[in-house]
Amino acid sequence: MITPNIDALSLGELQYIARKQGLDDAEVLDREELLEALQELYEEQENSLHGEGISYAPSAQQRFMNTLVEHESDANLGLLPGVQRLPETYCETRIHLLFKDPYWAHAYWSVCPADLQRLEQSSEDFSLFLRVAVHESADRLRPADSVDIQVMTTDISWNINLPERGRTYSVSLHYRDGNGNGGMLCQSDTVRTPKSYWIEHSRTLREDEKTFTLLFSSLVSKGGVMVEDPLLREVIEHLDARMGG
Amino acid sequence: MPRNSLGLILNAHMPYVRHPEYPRFLEEDWLFEAIGETYLPLLRMFRKLREEGVPFRVTMSFSPTLCAMLSDPILQGRFTDYLRLHQELGEKEVERCTQEQQPCLPLAKSYLEMINRNLQEYFETYQCNILSGFRDLEATGHLDLITTAATHAYLPLYHEYPSAINAQIELAVQSHINHFKKRPKGFWLPECGYFPGLEEYLQKEELSYFQLAAQALVLSEEPVKRGNYAPVTCPNGVAAFARDYHLTNLVWSNVEGYPTDPHYREFYRDIGYDLPMEYIKPYIHSPEVRVFTGYKYFAITGKGNDKKFYVPELARRKVQEHADNFIYEIRQKGRKLAGLLDREPFYTLAFDAELFGHWWFEGLDWLESVLRKVSQTDDMLFETQLDYLKRYPESQVLQPAISSWGEGGYSTVWAGGSNVWIYRHVHKAIERMEELAIRFGDQGSLKQRFLNQAAREVLLSMASDWPFIIHNGTSSSYAEKRLKEHLGNFNVVYENMCKNAVNTEWLVKAEKRDIVFPDIDYNMFNQKSNRNRYNG
Repeated sequence: MITPNIDALSLGELQYIARKQGLDDAEVLDREELLEALQELYEEQENSLHGEGISYAPSAQQRFMNTLVEHESDANLGLLPGVQRLPETYCETRIHLLFKDPYWAHAYWSVCPADLQRLEQSSEDFSLFLRVAVHESADRLRPADSVDIQVMTTDISWNINLPERGRTYSVSLHYRDGNGNGGMLCQSDTVRTPKSYWIEHSRTLREDEKTFTLLFSSLVSKGGVMVEDPLLREVIEHLDARMGG
Repeated sequence: MPRNSLGLILNAHMPYVRHPEYPRFLEEDWLFEAIGETYLPLLRMFRKLREEGVPFRVTMSFSPTLCAMLSDPILQGRFTDYLRLHQELGEKEVERCTQEQQPCLPLAKSYLEMINRNLQEYFETYQCNILSGFRDLEATGHLDLITTAATHAYLPLYHEYPSAINAQIELAVQSHINHFKKRPKGFWLPECGYFPGLEEYLQKEELSYFQLAAQALVLSEEPVKRGNYAPVTCPNGVAAFARDYHLTNLVWSNVEGYPTDPHYREFYRDIGYDLPMEYIKPYIHSPEVRVFTGYKYFAITGKGNDKKFYVPELARRKVQEHADNFIYEIRQKGRKLAGLLDREPFYTLAFDAELFGHWWFEGLDWLESVLRKVSQTDDMLFETQLDYLKRYPESQVLQPAISSWGEGGYSTVWAGGSNVWIYRHVHKAIERMEELAIRFGDQGSLKQRFLNQAAREVLLSMASDWPFIIHNGTSSSYAEKRLKEHLGNFNVVYENMCKNAVNTEWLVKAEKRDIVFPDIDYNMFNQKSNRNRYNG
């Protein structure tokens, strides 16, 4: 963390920080007055945080720095050539599913204006929902199970929970009108959640010290911290449960 | 006596940052700091060991964007300006410390000396292109140089786009051949990001091995036999080496790692932030943008803001202690594994190169000490992944699990709450690039250049650096602007090509601005043409 020497900050830097902190007279105060005003302001804020039971408050030095970093990025960037505003979505009816970790995926979608118009014309009270399907195989047409999630017509993305390991998931966007009629608008490709061999074979791991050492001695730090991975944690939890049993 | 094999891989990478449209640009300093604080001192250290006959074998990955920048005359010129500016500051610092801050004087002198050496070697030894130094170390058998994705894209999030993954890898190999005159054998997976099947793309480019996150083998759907102490062979024959978290964490961890020792130099205290504006102004960015200058006089000391002055002698002693401790840990590990393995264990030590020297100031001294000490033992040696594969050509066939070395072990760093929005746009650009490659295949002249520029912009938008920086929250507005810039540039080509037009004036400017990958062929985004290319 950068911690600047507050005494070294120039008048311009202090005025910028003061303006950002909402001090109205930033331009007329001299250096000493600015420093005093900012220190007072930070102390007040810190006291109020403590009053709310929040024990952590960044130091005054750190607060100066946070604002300075903004100052730097504002001052330096200007307009890079070619920078354009990106559309919120694209003119297509499509859904994607991104694997984030063994328990979560991210779905993002768009519905093209023509499809939306068609839905609005067919029914005033249509609604959209996501269907998260679990597949036995990569065949997207034969889901073994599914769960529906109601979404707003203005939504364009959701994080999707993937409850089981070693399964294949897809997500599709559906509509439904007031009479219960509906259909699928689009479907994503599949993602597969990983499944570790050792979750189902934790007994072997528990009984075989040699294998345990081979597998885990390179995954734990000297201080006893294990590689951060929820699936690995699940393996260990299975192992602990067995040992506890 | 069974030996412990140490497979050190250093990944040298910098995002493509080049802004000739500005007289000086803050984010270009990232490259200059890496050259001055890591790459040149690393070359110096390797060459010294070679001259003294100390045996070592190390693998280094150079990202194609870094190679492009290191070979770029404009950036080379700017780096020399950077060195001269810091040389001038060093001279001023020696004077200031003599008068006002005596305890810092020896350090100010040593910084100045390092800059003087950097300047001399940059010009005289390397003629401004340090890649030649690494090439030379490979020629003498000390380094094995490998490549990584063209713009260091985090590949699992492009799983749906084979053409884009192909382009990242094909172009990386092409760029490596251009810069090092040799086909690479290994591939550094950016951020250790792996998904099952990724090895197929590597095999197409004749890449024979890659590295993985530490948990990738244990979490496989089949049982791994030798843990992370030997590579596995993916079902298609490409070898995979999983990182040893226990050993790398001794160096890498910001909680328990060696670099956190209170005697080591504090990275975040720098005269760029500590000294009055009127003194430091000529050496920072205009108008008054404080930056790191490299002149840092404090030791880590502790968690608070009160820091003690850095004492190089104390730090040097710590370096030796930490090098000894590393050797001790390896030996202990070897003893623990004795009788458990049917071969000598291999420990994959994978790091970002910039950790050594730049982030961890004493890191290069530590590395030198470890290389020297290991060379004097008969129970351990540094060897490359290729050396080990030659010694043990048979490995367990296993499909590693999806994984990365990022926080949480998967993709949340690059696709979390703050940055996941980018994929909607980058994926769309890839789809449109594929469309252009199919609709306008094998164009010549101006259209070819226009389409090649589009391919460049798509690849640059895929860099893992932009979502990583946005995730970290520092310089995030720059990363966001860069991403939008590349996507915006791509859209210029897409919209023009949809009207069957070429904006020549724009093209000339864009080619000057983003000059990376001169040999790019946009047809690589045509999957059909890829199939023909690879399968005859």
